[in-house]
Order: sequence, then C-alpha cells, then structure tokens
Amino acid sequence: MSVSLSARNVVKRYGGVVALSDANLDVHSGEVVALIGANGSGKSTLSKIINGVVVLDGGQLLLDDKPVHFSSPQTAKQMGIATVFQELSLIPQMTVSENIWLTREPLRGGLVDHKNVRLRTEELVALFEGTHKFSLHPDSTVDALPPDEKQIIEVLKALSSDPRLIILDEATASLDSRQVQRLFELVASWKQQGKAVVFVSHRMEEIFRIADRFSVLRNGKTVGAGLMKEITERELVGLMVEKATATSVVQRQRQVLKKNGDQKIRLEVHDLRTDLLKGVDLQLRDGELLGIGGLKGQGQRDLLLALFGDLPYTGSVVVSGEAVHFKLPRQAIEKGIALVPGERAKEGLLYIRSILENLMLPSWAKFGIPLHIGKARQAASEVSNELQLIMAGLEEPVSSLSGGNAQKVVIGKWLLRNPKLLLLDDPTKGVDVGTKAEFYRLLARLCDNGTAILFYSSDDEELLGLCDRVLVMHDGVIRSELSGESLTKSNLIAASLGASNASLHEDPSSAAGHTYERRDADESSTAAPGPAGAGETDPPSESME
Amino acid sequence: MKRLTAFLPKKIAISPPVAAVILAVVLFLLSGLLPNGYGSNVSIAIAQATNITRLSVFLGVIAAGQTLVIISGGEGIDLSVGAVVTLSAIIAYVIINGQDGMLLPGLLAALAVGAAIGLLNGIGVAYLRIAPLVMTLGMSGVVTGLILVAQHGNVSGAVSPLMTRVIARPWFFGIPGAIIIWILFGLLMWLLIERTTFGKNLFAIGSNRTTARLSGVHVTGMVVATYALAGLLSGLGGFLVLGNTGVVFIAMGNSFLFPSIAAVAVGGTLLSGGKGSYFGTMAGALVLTLITSLLTTMQMPDSVRQMVLGGTLLVLISIYGRQRGFRQ
Repeated sequence: MSVSLSARNVVKRYGGVVALSDANLDVHSGEVVALIGANGSGKSTLSKIINGVVVLDGGQLLLDDKPVHFSSPQTAKQMGIATVFQELSLIPQMTVSENIWLTREPLRGGLVDHKNVRLRTEELVALFEGTHKFSLHPDSTVDALPPDEKQIIEVLKALSSDPRLIILDEATASLDSRQVQRLFELVASWKQQGKAVVFVSHRMEEIFRIADRFSVLRNGKTVGAGLMKEITERELVGLMVEKATATSVVQRQRQVLKKNGDQKIRLEVHDLRTDLLKGVDLQLRDGELLGIGGLKGQGQRDLLLALFGDLPYTGSVVVSGEAVHFKLPRQAIEKGIALVPGERAKEGLLYIRSILENLMLPSWAKFGIPLHIGKARQAASEVSNELQLIMAGLEEPVSSLSGGNAQKVVIGKWLLRNPKLLLLDDPTKGVDVGTKAEFYRLLARLCDNGTAILFYSSDDEELLGLCDRVLVMHDGVIRSELSGESLTKSNLIAASLGASNASLHEDPSSAAGHTYERRDADESSTAAPGPAGAGETDPPSESME
Repeated sequence: MKRLTAFLPKKIAISPPVAAVILAVVLFLLSGLLPNGYGSNVSIAIAQATNITRLSVFLGVIAAGQTLVIISGGEGIDLSVGAVVTLSAIIAYVIINGQDGMLLPGLLAALAVGAAIGLLNGIGVAYLRIAPLVMTLGMSGVVTGLILVAQHGNVSGAVSPLMTRVIARPWFFGIPGAIIIWILFGLLMWLLIERTTFGKNLFAIGSNRTTARLSGVHVTGMVVATYALAGLLSGLGGFLVLGNTGVVFIAMGNSFLFPSIAAVAVGGTLLSGGKGSYFGTMAGALVLTLITSLLTTMQMPDSVRQMVLGGTLLVLISIYGRQRGFRQ
C-alpha cells in the first residue's frame, strides 16, 4: 500500500472571510504529519478539504501525484481517505456495529450479513481491548456510552473502511492516557502497513510523541514545515504566533491593571468540578474584566454554565461575599448574575417573538400586574438606543435582525437588570467588525461602572486587547494565569497548548516572569512597572521564517 | 424565488383571527341564500347569528385551555379535555342537585376537579417527561374510567333554575348570558396572555425553552401551571355545557376534543408553540360551530360535515403557513 497526498496553495473563502489563503500539506506512506495552528488558523478547514467535506476555491489537491477533485466526502472515502472526527459523527440511537458499518454493511444475498458484521466488529473492538469498560460491545447502543468510548468507535469506524490516509482531527481530546497509548500503538502499526496519517492536535506532548513531520498554519497560510526532530516546542509556538499584530481590530480600551486591588471581590470560586471541569479556582473583583482563554472545549462553557446555575457542580462559589449553590439560572439572576450564552439562536433568543419581549424576558416581573406595557416599551427603547440597535421597531420579530444586532438584544436584556457579574460565552462569535468595536466599548463602560465581567473568547486578540488578566484553561483546569507583561500572544498560545506557568518562565522576553504566579492583583503595583525591555513581547523564535 | 415574491405584498396584513372572523361572516351571509335560509328577514338572521354565537361559547371556553397548552410548546396538547368536561359536569350536576344555593360549591368543585387532573398532566409532562400526547391521552382514559364508575351508581342530580337562567337565557336585549360570559372571559384571557408575566413566560417557553430557562423562567413550574390551568378551564367548560344542556351523559365532553384543537389551529396559533392568541381561538370556535350548524341546516349527513370541517381546517392552515413564508 502506498499513498501520497499533497495540498498545494489551497484557498478557501466563506463569504467575505478568507479561511485559507495559501495552505500546503504533504503526506506520504508510512509517516505521521502533525497539522498545527492556533484557534482559527484554518486547521479544520484544511482537513475538511482533504476529506471532501468542503470544496476548495483555489489551489490543488494531488493524490498519488494526480490532481483530484473531491465533490463529496463519499468521493474522498472511495479514494481511501478516512477521518476520525472530534465532533462525533455517530448516530446515538444505533448500536456500535450499526454505526461502524453504516452505508457499507457487508451483504449476503442483498441482506445485511449480521454474522459477518458482528465478527468484524468484534475484531475491531478487540483493537482497544483492555482500555475500555465492558460496555463497548457490538450490540450496545452508542447513546449509552461514555465520551471516550464514542471516540474509540469513531476511530474504529474510520478504520473499518481500510483507508490509505487517516486524518485524526483532535481524536485524542476525550481519550484517557491508556487509550491514547493504544491509539498511538495502532498509528505505529498503520505506518508499517504503509498508511499515511494527518494528526491534528492541540496537545504538544502528543505531537512530539507521534509525529514525524509538522506543518504550521497561521491565518490560513502555511508558515512552516519540517521534521519534528529538528524543532523544539518553543520554536513551534513561535511559528504559530503572528509577529506584528499591528492591524488588529481590538485596541486596548482601558488602562491595563487599574487599581482593582481595593475593589470588592465579587466572585470567588474554589475547586469547581463538573464532568468536564477538574477543579477550577478563580477570583474576580468588581470592575475587572477577567478573560478566559484556551482552545475550544477545554471546559470554558461548563465553567460559565455552572456559575450560572445551569449545570450541576461541586465545589464552593462565593458571590458578593455570600456562599451560594445555584440549581437554576433564576437563582443566579436574582443575585445579579447575567449570562450571554454561546449559541445565540439556540440559547439567547426567542426567535419568533418580538424584540420587546426578548429584551424584557428576565424583567417582566418588575412591570406589575397587569403589565405596564408602556413603561416596558420605554425601558426597552432606552436600552436599544444605548446599544444603537438597528431595527424597524420593537414589535418586529428578533428574526428580522442581523447577527450583530441580535447579539445586542441578548446583551440588552441583561443591561436592563444592571448585572453585578456578567458571564460572556464567546459573545463576538459571528458578529461583524463594527458591532464588535461597539461591543468592546460597552464592556469597557460596564467595567468602569463597577461590573465584574468573566469573558470567555475564542479570539485571542480580544483577550489580549481587552482583559486585565487572562486565565488559560486546558483540559478542565486553569493551566496558567497571564497578566501584565506575561499577557502576550505567544504566552497565550503556549498556555493554550498545555504549557504551565512554569514553562512560560523560560520566555526570555518576559523577564518579570514571577508576577504571573501571584493571585492577588494589588501586589502587582510593585511588580508591574516591569524591567526595561520587557515591553511588548515578540515570539522568541524567528529561525523558521 | 426572490423575484417571484417581489410581486407579492411583503406582508399580508390580515392576521389569522381576523381572517377567521371574515370567513365566518361571509359564510353566514351566504347561508341566507340557502333554500331554507333566513332570506331577507333581518330579525331571523339576527336570531340565527345569536344562536350560533351562543353555541360557540362552549367550544370557545373549552378550547381556551387547549390554546394555553399549545402555546406552551414542547409538543403540548391536551387530549383529556373531553373527559374532564364530562367529569366536571357530572360532579357539578350531583352537587348542585337543583338547589340555587349549591351553585357556587358546584362551580368550585368542577374547577377544582379540572385543575387537579390538569395538575397531574403537568407533573407527568414536566417532571416525568412523558410526551404530552401520551400523558393526556392516558389521563383521558383514567378519567373516563372514573366516570364509568360514578355512572354505575346511577348519578342523580339536577341543574338549578338560576344556573339555566344565567347560562342559557338572555340577560338583556335578548343577548344570552353565555355570550356575555364569553366576552368577559375573552378579555380575562387576553389580560392573562398579553398582560401578565405568566403570559409572557408562556410564549417564551413555547418558542425556546433553553433561552427561557437561561433568562430566568422557571420552565418546569410554568409547564405544570399551564396544564393545571388548562384543566381548570376545561372544568369551567364542563360547568357551562351542563348549564346549557341541563342533563349529563357519559360522552357529553367527547364531541369537544377535536374541535378544541381545530379551533386553536384555525385561530392561527402555531401548533409548535410560542405564538398565538385567544381571540384567534374564539374566532376559530365561531367558524367551526357555524360550519357545523350550516351543514346541519342543509341536512347534510354527518359524513359530509366531517369532510367539510376537515377540509376547511386544512385549507386555512395551509394559507397561514404560506403567510409566514412570505414574511421571512
């Protein structure tokens, strides 16, 4: 078995947004290539182009040195390209074996050959024997399985078609170390069989363990490629980081590290645990804009939902000096907490109802019985003026608004309640640039008025530009805390990939390194004026450029 | 598609309730041309119109609870209304037993029984997560069983003179009490849906329960309260029906079940929840009652009546669906 695949100068646009401008990737039989990049660098777009989910706009795909065009995932599959998805592609109601063989069921006389299906499924499941509980049985329903076993089935499903090229897209994210070990043993055997593997991962340690070569994407462009043994972790991070972030939408809106020390502590969290969170500690003062960073799905959403009472948790939460344990969002709302959820249409809006009703939803009780609609309308129009909401009228349905304006409605409904603590779950996702700028000014204003804000963003620039402090989450814990001089893009990315504070110390440009270990902001007044040359940190490595 | 719709009005101004009322008026006017219609006799026409409206009241009140349940979304529907109407009527019948003094206790008992059954429906739907269709259908079976047990001991009772006078006889200007009660009831329903936090939260849970929960609405509490209230309104419906007929029988509520859902749909309430009005349901009840009585006047067999009713429902709903399409 031999295979080689090359992507040359691939371009992909989504509307006006360029996802890939010049992406390149080469992978050959018997090797593992790591595809690396920060959030939004285009890794998943490139892997989707290779497996036919997305059609490229420019450039070329060569399979075995012949140009190919994948019009659908099926075409790619027939050519021997299989993907292990991170976002699971399994059908929950079907059994393990049904899922694995879906659309490719072995037949006998036109009917599904159940005996054969079972036999071959058992062979596949045996590959991971000993690393899972007994529940992983060919006839068990996928719905009932834990996330790691679902992920294993994804791997087996990809493997069942005996592919020549396997793309592992964050396939290790939900596996435990034993399972990862077994997967890597399998990868080694695939290499021997002459299969090629593209390994997309955020875990540096795994990349160094398994990959032979790397290819780094940055803003849709391939900026470096080479052999793993010739590069260090720090050099890789350096490649992923853009050197000059001059043309950034985000401008620092506030004086960094205002004297938060004498403000009251609004929120104190200790050892917060959910299914995904493995013990989170944090402290947030009034008027502080605390960023939460890290790669997607490291528990940021869980953290916000747990604090808002929408997710069961253990651990201690103290709001405004009072120990609380919310079981319902309404309890959190009564304590002055507000949440702007991550999925605007699904969690933030009543799509078919009017703008007025959306804005008023948490506040109706304030308007008496029968409701004083005139007063409500007045309050709503004040907020919509403040937010510069562009609309035909308060009675129009929210579905008539653009994405940015709809998001303003989600925020506006909380402004009416003057929240003390605002939880934001990636609020600028899918919002246009102009609205983003307005939104940043709004956040700055809220902070200046004393609102404490916990702000998760998948956009690193936002965190760097807006926040006083950023907590970087990795694998359900806060891996490092960045502030002052340590709050740089390269530190943020390195921390996202799982580097702890300790390894960030090595960054020569952050000489004031010891400051990010302290938890209390007012001690920083002595350390913050940092040593000469500490300034804006550039990525340490330029060797690969 | 865009070019096609450009020639059509952006938004059809007529809302479903208004459309239903217009349909009812046109149908009524046309019915005058029938061989045995009112012809050019205005006083007979008015008398007929009044009578049809009076007959709509019972369906209208019973469909009020259905309206709330359907607006609350989550595949909400109440299939127990027929059984609740019968049971509450029987209970009021027995308690009142011909005495005016027992009228209020009889009414309260009818409401309480309805509310209790509705509460059980709500608990089953909200806490045990039983699909509303299954939960209320099952409850309907249970209640029907209770009715059979009660009937077995041969129910004895009677309506009181005051009750008949209030519900079935005219109050003033020849307007029957039932119609006046219905108008007041309609205003109260409007207040409840449009001018209380309950109503606003009802629309919220009907259009998106996640958003509602994350905005501080107690979703399970709302669902339980909605089903309980719907049961209470069915109990009221049973009381009114009793006042009109003066007698009870085992199947007296059954004939209201499907019309109660149809009236809500004809009134323009979204069957998926989150959008609707009680005025729409009132108009729907009028249209359905009118069509039924016209067909009866024309001495159409029951089979034809069923077909015409079903056809009207389909035509109206498809028109409403089209209107929504235009708006987007």
